[in-house]
Amino acid sequence: MSSVSVIVRNLKRHMNGWVALSVLGAFVALLPSLYIFIGLFQQPNDNWQHVKEYVLKDSVIQSLWLVLGTGTFTVVIGVTLAWLVAAYDFPLRRFFNWAFVLPLAIPPYIAAYTYGSMLSYTGSIQTFMRNTLGSTPNQSYFDIMSMKGAIFIFTLFLFPYVYLITKTFLEQQSSAFIENARLLGKNSLHIFFKIVLPLSQVAIIGGASLVAFEVLNDFGVTKHFGISSFTTAIFKTWFGMYDVETAIRLAAWLMSIIIGLFVVERLLRKRKRYNSPTSKMNPLKRRKLRGFPAYAALFLSILIFSLSFLIPVVQLIIWATWTYQDVLNAKFAELVANTLSVSILSIVVLMLFAVIAANVSRASRRSTFTLILTKLLAMGYSIPGAVLSIGVLAVFISLDSQLSGLYLWLGWGTNKLVLSMSLIMLMFAYVIRFLAVGFNAVEAGFEKIGTRYSEASRLLGMGMTRTFFKVDLPLIKGALLTGCILVFMEIVKELPLTLLLRPFNFETLATKTYQYASDEQIHQAAVPSLFIIAVGMLSVFVYHWLGEKHSK
Amino acid sequence: MRKKYSFGTLLVTLMALLVLAGCGSSPAETKTANPESPKKDAAATTDKEKVVNIFTARHYDSDSVMFDEFTKQTGIKINEIKGTAEELVERMKREGESTEADLFITVDGGVLNYAKQNGVLQPIQSEQVDKNVPKQLRDTENNWVGLATRARVIVYAKDRVKPEQLSTYEDLASDTWKGKVLARSSSSLYNQSLLASFVELNGEKAAEQWAQGIVNNFARQPEGGDRDQAKAIAAKVGDVAIMNTYYVGKMLHSKDAEEVKVGQNIGVFFPNQDTTGAHLNISGVGLTKHAKNKDNAIKLIEFLTGKEAQTMLTQGSYEFPVNEAADKPELLKQWGTFKTQQLDFAKLGEHNKKAVEILNKVGWK
Repeated sequence: MSSVSVIVRNLKRHMNGWVALSVLGAFVALLPSLYIFIGLFQQPNDNWQHVKEYVLKDSVIQSLWLVLGTGTFTVVIGVTLAWLVAAYDFPLRRFFNWAFVLPLAIPPYIAAYTYGSMLSYTGSIQTFMRNTLGSTPNQSYFDIMSMKGAIFIFTLFLFPYVYLITKTFLEQQSSAFIENARLLGKNSLHIFFKIVLPLSQVAIIGGASLVAFEVLNDFGVTKHFGISSFTTAIFKTWFGMYDVETAIRLAAWLMSIIIGLFVVERLLRKRKRYNSPTSKMNPLKRRKLRGFPAYAALFLSILIFSLSFLIPVVQLIIWATWTYQDVLNAKFAELVANTLSVSILSIVVLMLFAVIAANVSRASRRSTFTLILTKLLAMGYSIPGAVLSIGVLAVFISLDSQLSGLYLWLGWGTNKLVLSMSLIMLMFAYVIRFLAVGFNAVEAGFEKIGTRYSEASRLLGMGMTRTFFKVDLPLIKGALLTGCILVFMEIVKELPLTLLLRPFNFETLATKTYQYASDEQIHQAAVPSLFIIAVGMLSVFVYHWLGEKHSK
Repeated sequence: MRKKYSFGTLLVTLMALLVLAGCGSSPAETKTANPESPKKDAAATTDKEKVVNIFTARHYDSDSVMFDEFTKQTGIKINEIKGTAEELVERMKREGESTEADLFITVDGGVLNYAKQNGVLQPIQSEQVDKNVPKQLRDTENNWVGLATRARVIVYAKDRVKPEQLSTYEDLASDTWKGKVLARSSSSLYNQSLLASFVELNGEKAAEQWAQGIVNNFARQPEGGDRDQAKAIAAKVGDVAIMNTYYVGKMLHSKDAEEVKVGQNIGVFFPNQDTTGAHLNISGVGLTKHAKNKDNAIKLIEFLTGKEAQTMLTQGSYEFPVNEAADKPELLKQWGTFKTQQLDFAKLGEHNKKAVEILNKVGWK
């Protein structure tokens, strides 16, 4: 049977309001990406030859190193900590349980500037060694602005993606397998390698792919550290050679690579789904660590937490005490309010679409049609923010010119740029950009509960919508919240889209931080940075508190 | 009961949320759309006279101070959208005649020219501006005028290098400086403009040889910003660095005592005084082609290039003022006068692409 007829059949079988809405959503979300993608089919200009010859190979290799290095270390650290926290009791475990999520509140580019300054010749560490200990150490020990340094930064500030998703999975999903293994007398190491790792493969890959996308999209860290990654190549082509076309062509290639990754990821986990064999979901019982193992766990936790949160934050606080008088003023309150309102509004819209798409994808049992659909929906995540913003702008400006008749009729004058001068454009961009984050979280939630509850419900005659509200929604509440928190932190940190698509006079904490940091005023950047971090901390805290309440 | 959670309910909820989202954004929207909104035809003039909309790639707090002063003096409100220069040009291009932007401000002559070439600017007609800004710091057709200049010079370790050893940018590529030269990465527009100036002055081949020579002489792979190069001199990683002058001013006045020390231990050398002169970068402002508040915009340009604003600007940023009448900070006076490259800034923009190609080719990271 041809694949076309399969698709048509699937389409007919699953066509309902849910599907219609996600098709519509996918179409709208797709427009900017489509605009970028068309770049691949246009005749390349002369610059392309130059870029291919001198830029492409190196940038692909550098990006590959970044992704592989960061991917490996985030998985090692994320999974180890997730397993430690989920399966064992050790001193301060309750604190680290949520504290390990905190590094997400620090945007990697702020971390890069902070560590860069801290470790520099005039930074606190070398200054101390020089002025107090009287020794001038070899500079190469402190040279963080390198490939190794970038992997270090990305690992420390992105591992929570792996940690969070894996931990949630282990805590709620794996108890039956692990307890059985324990009953059968297997030791911890055996359980970790033979059961935990294979079992949580889906969660780990999900987390690691988020990390990979973040790394591929990053511009701040790579630019500051002088790494010629794929994204820096895009920007250099655009800003240096003044060639948007070639830049977009590069972006289209990057996008294709990432879609490839999506497909590979999907193939990898297609046959590997582990739902708990019983309908009872027992949370994993933690074992108490004593003696040396307890100290080792505590030491490891303190080490990671210090490097990925405590040290940079303390440094930022010190800098903030130098500059807060210049930076904190009435305008600053507006920054905070702007940041919060635009994030929250965007999240509401985004999560709604994420849930609809994930539900459709699940109900159709991952048919090719919905697989493509949901992946398209998530495509915005694969385009560098600044390039996506060009796509979004193009769409909105043409939309505005289509609607100019309506504006006139409404008595708004001949003003043609209404939507593209409003916050709606920025929110739209946020939604496209981070839909994948929300979708992944919701999907993981569905994955966890399996399909038997909803199948039972459907069997008993309930419709898809009713089943969703009565059965699914209460079960995935946790995943939904995780999604909201992750998206929230992403938006608060987001930079290129906000820089380009915001309306007049609309500053956010991120744009202000970047403004200072890029002008090499890292001390002034400390205050808005700390606010971003505080907002992130608060949401982690709220999330954790809700989770605790829910589990009681 | 069955109908309670119908698909329709979901749809309605969704719509409601979207509307809500729209409303939520409306206060900011009305605020920002104001200059162009309903009253356009009738009561327009009074309302319109009070605004200038700026797309700017300059992000200094000292700029806001100048803008506030302008508003205080004239009652004209200033709205800003900040961003990267190239992105802003792209945006103006796409917005066409509907654009809200009246002025475009950026920190590089090349980009100003890029904006001009893309047809988003128009001539600034003002005798006052012509008087404030010397001809060399204005576009040939007055599509843009300079606001401030910054010299990209050679900075050296006072304890290890004697100024007599230094002469030209070209000399930095000679074997004398093997393993001693520091510079930031080639994504930096400042490096691109510097190389573009060599393409114009010395020709493409010589420019490429120079870039290759610098890469061969690097003390380490390019990393960090300009200040990081100064710190690397203090840390003895290298002896000489290519840097913008105003960073030295900012380091000397830093709140971080260690940075001040670094600033004190480095010397500023203005190269090529016997030949082509030191390389200048220009910060400038252009009037957009479809500016809707043209008169106010020109008033603002006149103000920004006037003595008072020029003094405020240079005191805050340690850039060189374009208006000779401005009071310069003590440090700039100490540096004295120096010979600068005599070339049309538009050339920097024209050669920028070539410069980037060369930088890619010689492997300047």
